[in-house]
Amino acid sequence: MNKENSFFVGWKDDMPKANRSLLIKFIVVLFISIPLLTFLIVKSQKPFNNHIFEFGNVKEFTGIYHADPVPILEVTDNKIPEGFSNYVLLVGFGKFGAEGIISNIEKSSGPLNGLKVTLQGTLIYGDGRYLMELTKKEDSLIKIFDEPTVANTHLYDRKKDGYSGEILDPKCYFGVMKPGEGKIHKSCAIRCISGGIPPVFRANIENGQYEYFLLLGPNGEKINKAILNDVAELVTIDGETSIINGWPVLYANPSDIIRINKKSYYAQD
Amino acid sequence: MSVNYSPVLWNKQKKLYDLILWIGILFMAVTFIIFQVLFHKDITLQTLIIRTTAIIAFFLLHIILIIGPLCRIDKRFLPLLYNRRHLGVSMFLVALIHGGMAIVQFHTLGDTNPIASIFTANSNYLAISDFPFQVLGFLALIILFLMAITSHDFWLKNLSPAIWKGLHMCVYLAYTLIVIHVATGALQYEDNPIYWTLLVLGVITITGLHLYTGIIETRKLSLPHTLEKEGYYKVCSLEEIDDQCGKSVFINGENIAIFKYDGNVSAVHNVCKHQMGPIGEGKIIDGCITCPWHGYQYLPDNGQSPPPFNEKLKTYRTSVLDGSIWVHPLPLEEGSFIEPTKIPQS
Ligand code: HEM
Ligand code: FES
Repeated sequence: MNKENSFFVGWKDDMPKANRSLLIKFIVVLFISIPLLTFLIVKSQKPFNNHIFEFGNVKEFTGIYHADPVPILEVTDNKIPEGFSNYVLLVGFGKFGAEGIISNIEKSSGPLNGLKVTLQGTLIYGDGRYLMELTKKEDSLIKIFDEPTVANTHLYDRKKDGYSGEILDPKCYFGVMKPGEGKIHKSCAIRCISGGIPPVFRANIENGQYEYFLLLGPNGEKINKAILNDVAELVTIDGETSIINGWPVLYANPSDIIRINKKSYYAQD
Repeated sequence: MSVNYSPVLWNKQKKLYDLILWIGILFMAVTFIIFQVLFHKDITLQTLIIRTTAIIAFFLLHIILIIGPLCRIDKRFLPLLYNRRHLGVSMFLVALIHGGMAIVQFHTLGDTNPIASIFTANSNYLAISDFPFQVLGFLALIILFLMAITSHDFWLKNLSPAIWKGLHMCVYLAYTLIVIHVATGALQYEDNPIYWTLLVLGVITITGLHLYTGIIETRKLSLPHTLEKEGYYKVCSLEEIDDQCGKSVFINGENIAIFKYDGNVSAVHNVCKHQMGPIGEGKIIDGCITCPWHGYQYLPDNGQSPPPFNEKLKTYRTSVLDGSIWVHPLPLEEGSFIEPTKIPQS
C-alpha cells in the first residue's frame, strides 16, 4: 500500500521511495524555475547610469579653489577630459560635505579662496560633471602655489526660472551608488544632504536632457535641512538661476518646492 | 533549573537537506549575478550584494511558507517540513547580509547613528508610496532573528511549545512586513509591471494554499458524529482507518487522534508536545504513535513517550460497536493508562 510506504520519519536514515520520487520532482522544478525567475527579474530592471566612482584610486589635481557658492576646484591643469566641465565640486569623506575639511585645513594654511592649489582625492563623474571626494581629509591639500588670489569667475545675472525634476545628493548620483536617485536611495540622499553635501537639483530640460543646479536659498544661503523631506521626489521649483564658478545655481525658497505626483507629471509630456 | 532536550542528530537526511538547500542558494546567487553583470554592467558591488541576497531571502521565505500547506495536501512533502528550521535559519542569514549591507551602504558614515537613521532619515510615516520602507525590513529582520535564535529544541522546551509556536507564527507578520517593504521600496522605483505581477502572484500562492488547506481541514475535522451513547460518540467505521494508522476528529471541542493497531483501538490528544504537530496523521512504528512532523513517539495506551523521554499526552476512552469506532471526548489526565479496546474478530 502506498500509504504504508510513504510514512517518513525524520530521525531514520532512509526515506521511503514514494517521498523521494515526489521530492526529486519538486527540487527539479525549483532548480529549473530559479534561473527563469532571476532572468526575468534582472531583465526587467531599470538600467543604471554609467557614472563612475574611482574607489581606491586617489589622484592629484591643480587649479583655483573657490569657496563660492560651495567648495569648487576650477581645474587648470587640463586633466579633465573633453565633454566635462572643469569646475570640480568638492565633497567630503562618507556622507559629509567638504566644508568641514576645508575649514580645518584653513586653520593652519589660512584662507584658500581664490588661491591656486593642488588637491588629492577620489574622482566621481558622469553626464558632463566632475566631483572629487577629499578622501584623505585634512591631508587632501598637497600644495599652495605662491600666486595672487584669483577672483570668482563667470558671475552671471540672476533671472527668474522654474523647472520640474528631482533633488539629488550629487555624490551618490554622479557615481558612488547605483541607483543614486529615487525612492530606493531616498534615505541615503537625506543623510548626505543633511551631512552638508550640496543638494543638486536635476532639472528636466527637454528630450530626456538634464541640467544640474546647485540648490541654494534666495540669498545664497544653505537650505540643506529645510528641503530634506522633498529629496528624491518629483518636484517643481520656481526661483532664480545664475552660474557661479562654472556651476548653474538655482536660488529658491523652500516653500516654492512643490511635489507633483508621477502621473500628473507624465500627463504633461 | 534543569532542562532536558533530546539532542538533534545529524543524520544522512539532514546533511542531504542542507546540501541541496545551499546548492540551491548558491545556484540562485550565481544565476542572478551572471545576469546582472551581463545586462547591467554598471551595477556596483554593494547593489549586487543587496539585491542578490534580497531576492534569495524573499524566495526562500515563499518556499518556507508553502511547505506547511503542501504537506497537508500531500504527506509525501513531509520531509521538507522535518528540517524546515534549517531553511528558516539559512533564510535569516541571507536576509541579514541584505539588511546589514543596506544599513552600511545607506546609513553609515553620516551625521546620525545608522540604526536611528533607518527610522528618521525618511520620516514620512503617514504617506503610502513615500513610506519609510526600510523600517519595515528592519522590523521583519528582528522577527526573523528572534525565530532563528530560538529555533533549537532547547528553546522550545524553555519557552513552552505554546509560546514558541506563537513566536514562530510571527513569520506571517514578517512576511507581511516584507511584502510592504518591497511594495513601498523597490517597486516605487522600478516601473516594469512584471514586479507587481510577481509580488501579487507570490501573495496569492501563499494565501491561496493556506485558505485551501484550512477549508479542507475544518471540513475533515467537523465530520458529523451525531450518534452519541452514554457519552461516547461514533467516529467512523473500523475499515476507514488503515492498520497502524490514525484519524483526527474534533468532538465537543476536543482534538482527538484515534489509532488502530494490532487488533486494538486507542485514542490520545491530537496535539504533539513538540511543536503541536497533528498526531492523528502519524503512524504506529515499533509499537509507538509517531508524530508525522518530527517523529516524536508516544505509547498508544497511556500517551507517554517511551523512556528516556517524558512527554505525556491526554488519553481518551474508546469502544467498538457493530463495526464502528466510538470515543468518549472527556480526556483523562496526561499519561493515564487506558486498556486498549480489542477489535472483535468476526
Ligand atoms: C535592516 C533591514 C533591512 C533594510 C535596511 C533593507 C533595505 C532595503 C533596501 C534599501 C532595498 C532597496 C535596494 C535596491 O533595490 O537597490 C531593499 C529591497 C528589498 N528588500 Fe530589504 N531591507 C531590510 C530587510 C529585508 C528583509 C528581512 C527582507 C526579507 C527577505 C528584505 C527583502 C527585500 C527585497 C525582496 C527587496 C527588493 C529587491 C531589491 O530591490 O533588492 N529586506 N531593502
Ligand atoms: S510536532 Fe515535532 S514531532 Fe510532533
